[in-house]
Amino acid sequence: MITLRSSDGETFDLDEVVAVELQTIKNMMEDRCAESVIPVPNVEGKILAKVIEYCKKHVKSTAKAEEHALSDADLKAWDSDFIKLDQATLFDLIMAANYLDIKSLLDLLCQTVADMIKGKSPEEIRKIFNIKNDFTPEEEKEIRRENQWAFE
Amino acid sequence: MATSEAAGEAFEQLPAALLATIMTKLDVSSMRSLASTCTVLRSCASQILHFLPNFHLLDVALSINFLRPLLPPNPYLRSLKVDCSKLDDSSIEDLVRPSLHDLSLHNCSDFSGKLLSQIGGQCKDLRSLYLGCVADKRGRAVHISNLEELLRGCTELKTLSLMFDISLFPRYNFARAWSSASENLTSLEIGYVSSVMVTELLSPNVGPNQRPDLLRPPILPGLQRLCLSVDYITDTMVETISKGLINLTHLDLRDAPIIEPRVSFDLTNASLQQINQHGKLKHLSLVRSQEFLITYFKRVNDLGILLMADRCSSMESICLGGFCRVTDSGFKTILHSCSTLYKLRVSHGMLLTNLVFLDISATSLSLTHVSLRWCNLLRNQAVISLASNLDLRVLDLRDCRNLRDEALQAISTLHKLKILLLDGTDITDAGLTYLRERVIGSLVSLSVRGCKRLTDKCISALFDPSSKQELQELDLSNLPNLSDNGIFSLAKSRVPILELRMRQCPLIGDISVMALASMQVDDDRSHGSSLRVLDLYNCGGITSLSFRWLKKPYFPRLRWLGVTGSLNRDMVDALARSRPFLHVAGHGEELGTDHWDGLCMHDNEELDELEQWLLEGEDDSDDEEMEDVENNGEMVE
Repeated sequence: MITLRSSDGETFDLDEVVAVELQTIKNMMEDRCAESVIPVPNVEGKILAKVIEYCKKHVKSTAKAEEHALSDADLKAWDSDFIKLDQATLFDLIMAANYLDIKSLLDLLCQTVADMIKGKSPEEIRKIFNIKNDFTPEEEKEIRRENQWAFE
Repeated sequence: MATSEAAGEAFEQLPAALLATIMTKLDVSSMRSLASTCTVLRSCASQILHFLPNFHLLDVALSINFLRPLLPPNPYLRSLKVDCSKLDDSSIEDLVRPSLHDLSLHNCSDFSGKLLSQIGGQCKDLRSLYLGCVADKRGRAVHISNLEELLRGCTELKTLSLMFDISLFPRYNFARAWSSASENLTSLEIGYVSSVMVTELLSPNVGPNQRPDLLRPPILPGLQRLCLSVDYITDTMVETISKGLINLTHLDLRDAPIIEPRVSFDLTNASLQQINQHGKLKHLSLVRSQEFLITYFKRVNDLGILLMADRCSSMESICLGGFCRVTDSGFKTILHSCSTLYKLRVSHGMLLTNLVFLDISATSLSLTHVSLRWCNLLRNQAVISLASNLDLRVLDLRDCRNLRDEALQAISTLHKLKILLLDGTDITDAGLTYLRERVIGSLVSLSVRGCKRLTDKCISALFDPSSKQELQELDLSNLPNLSDNGIFSLAKSRVPILELRMRQCPLIGDISVMALASMQVDDDRSHGSSLRVLDLYNCGGITSLSFRWLKKPYFPRLRWLGVTGSLNRDMVDALARSRPFLHVAGHGEELGTDHWDGLCMHDNEELDELEQWLLEGEDDSDDEEMEDVENNGEMVE
C-alpha cells in the first residue's frame, strides 16, 4: 500500500500495482525504501484524485485486477466520459500527468485538446481557450497572409 | 500551476514540450491555424517544424512560397505527402530529403523526370514512394534513365506507385531498368503501361538483345502486390504474371480497350486457369473499363471461372468487372469455393441474378464489402439474402435498376454499414425511412444519385434532428424532384456533412445555397457549414445571388466547388480569385477524388483507410514517434 500526499495535504492510498502506473512514483518507490507517504507537491488534491481514478481503471491486469478489468470498448467509453472536464481541470490534469509521467493519460488528454482545435479558425480557437491575441497589427497581417490557406 | 482564476491563460502557459505534443496530434492546417493565435503558439509551431516526423498536406495545393517556410531543414522528417499542383522542378530540393522513409507527391504535372533521378540520388532510405501525374504537362518528359536512377538509388524501396503513363518508354531498356530495382520491393502500382511491356518484363526468356545462353535473373522476385492499368488484359500477360511472380498475394489488373480486342490479344478461359499457380493469391481484380468503348470480357464464360475458382479457395477479395458471359453458375462457384472471402465486387454482371445469393446464409461467409454494379437482373430478394452478412460495411448497388424499397428494409438490419450506394435504383422516400432508425446513425457515406422517385420528403425520412449523425458524404445528384425545401430541412437537421453533391437538380437554387451557408452544425463554429465539397453543377435555380453566399466568410472549409462555369462567368472568376485555395470546377467534372471508380487497388486502399479511421477513431501516433517528438521537444527546450 502506497500513500500519496497532495500539495494541499490530502492523502490517497493506492495499491502498489496502481502506483507503478505513475512512472515518477515508481522511480521514487525504487529509490526510497522505508518512506510510506510520498509527497506530490505539484499536484492539488482534487486533481490527484482524478489521476488516481484513471490509473485504477487502466491498471494492467493482474489476478486481482482481472475482476475489474474492462473490455477495450468499455474502457474507451469510460475514457470519453472521463475527459468531459472544464478547461481548468483539463490543463491541471495535463500538467499532473506530465509531472507524474503517466504516458497513456497524457496522450489521452493531449488528444482531447487537439480534437478541440482541429478544423477551427484562429478566432474560434482563441475563443475556446481564451487566448489573448498579442500580435502587433503588422505581425497579424503577416501571419494572416502566410496562413490564410489553412483556415480561409 | 494554473488555478481556476488563471484558467483563461492556461493553454499558452503549458510548457513548450507539452504544446509540441499537442501540436503533433494536429493536421498541418490546424497547426497553422493554432500558430496564428498568439506569439507563444506561433513560436512553438515554427519550432515544431524542425522535428516533426510527418508532414501531410494533400487537401490544398500550396505554391513554393507558402510551402518552403513549412519545410525547414528537419532531420527527423520521415513521411512527406504533398499536393504538387503548383510546384515544379525548382521545388525538388525542398521536397526530396535523405531522411525520408515515405514520400507521396500528387499532381506532379509540371515536374520532369529529374524528380525521379533526384529521389534516387538522395533518398537512400526510402521505403514507400507514390508519384502522381509526373510530367503530364506538355513539354515535360520522363526518360527511362530517370526511372533507372530512381530504381537503382532507392535500395530499400518496398512500395512503389508510379501513377503516370510509362508506356512510351523504349521497350528494350525497360526490362533492364527494372533489373536494378530493390529486392525488397513488395508492392508495385503503375498508372498506365502496355501489356506487351509487362509480358516482356516478367518473362524469364531471353530479351531481344541478349545472348541466347544467358538467362536473366528473376525480375521483382519479392513482389506481392501488383496493380496495373494496361491497354489490353491478355492471356499472355496474365500467364506470365502468374508464372513469374511466385510471391503474389494481390493482383489488380484493369484495361480500357480502344478497339474491340482480337482473340490473340484478350483474356480467355485459358489463362484464368493459370491464375494463382503458386497458391498465395488473396486478392484478385480483373476489370475491363468502358472508358473508350463499350466492351467486355466476351471470351470468358462459366468454365473459366470454374477453373479459376478451383485454385482460389483461399481468396479473400475478388473483383470482376465486365464479365458479361458469366452466369449464376460461375458466380455461385466463387461464393462456395472461397470460404474466406470477405470482399466481392462485380460490375456489368449482366447475367447475375438472385440465385447466386439464395443460399448464402448456408455458407460460412461473412462478407464485409459487396459491390454489384450494373447488375440489372438483380431483384430485392438478392439484397434480402445478402443482408444475412451482418458484418457488411460497404454495400454498392449502383445502377441495379430493379431494386426497390424491400431491399432497403433488408438493409436496415445492417448495423455496421458505413458506405451505402444506391444510385439509379427504384427506391422511394418511404424506403429510406427504413434507414432512419439505426443504419443512418452509423453511415458515413450515402448516395442516392439518380433515384428519380425521391422527393424532398426523403431528407426528413432519413434524418432525425434529435439523434446523433455520423454522415459525412451525401450525394443527391440527378433528383428531378428535390427542391430547396429538401435542402432547407437538411440544413436544419444539423448533419455534419463534409461533401454534398447535388449535380443536375433542376429545382435546386439560391435558397439552398443560403440555407447551407448558414447551417449551424455545432456551437463552436461561428459561420456554420462544415462543407468541404459542394457540387452544384447544372442546378436549375442557381443565379448570381448564390455567389454572394459562396464568398468568405461563408463556407469557411470549402475546398471544392462545382458550378456551371458558362453561366455567371464573371462571378465564377471573381470567386476563384477571392478564394485562391478553392478548386472551382466549371465544366461538369466530378469533384474531389473519385473514390468509387478508381483503380480497384486505390478503391481498396481508400476504403481501408476510411475504415481504419472509422474503426480506430483517429490515426494513433506510433509510440515510437511520440517518444521521438517528446525527446526532441526536450532538446529544443
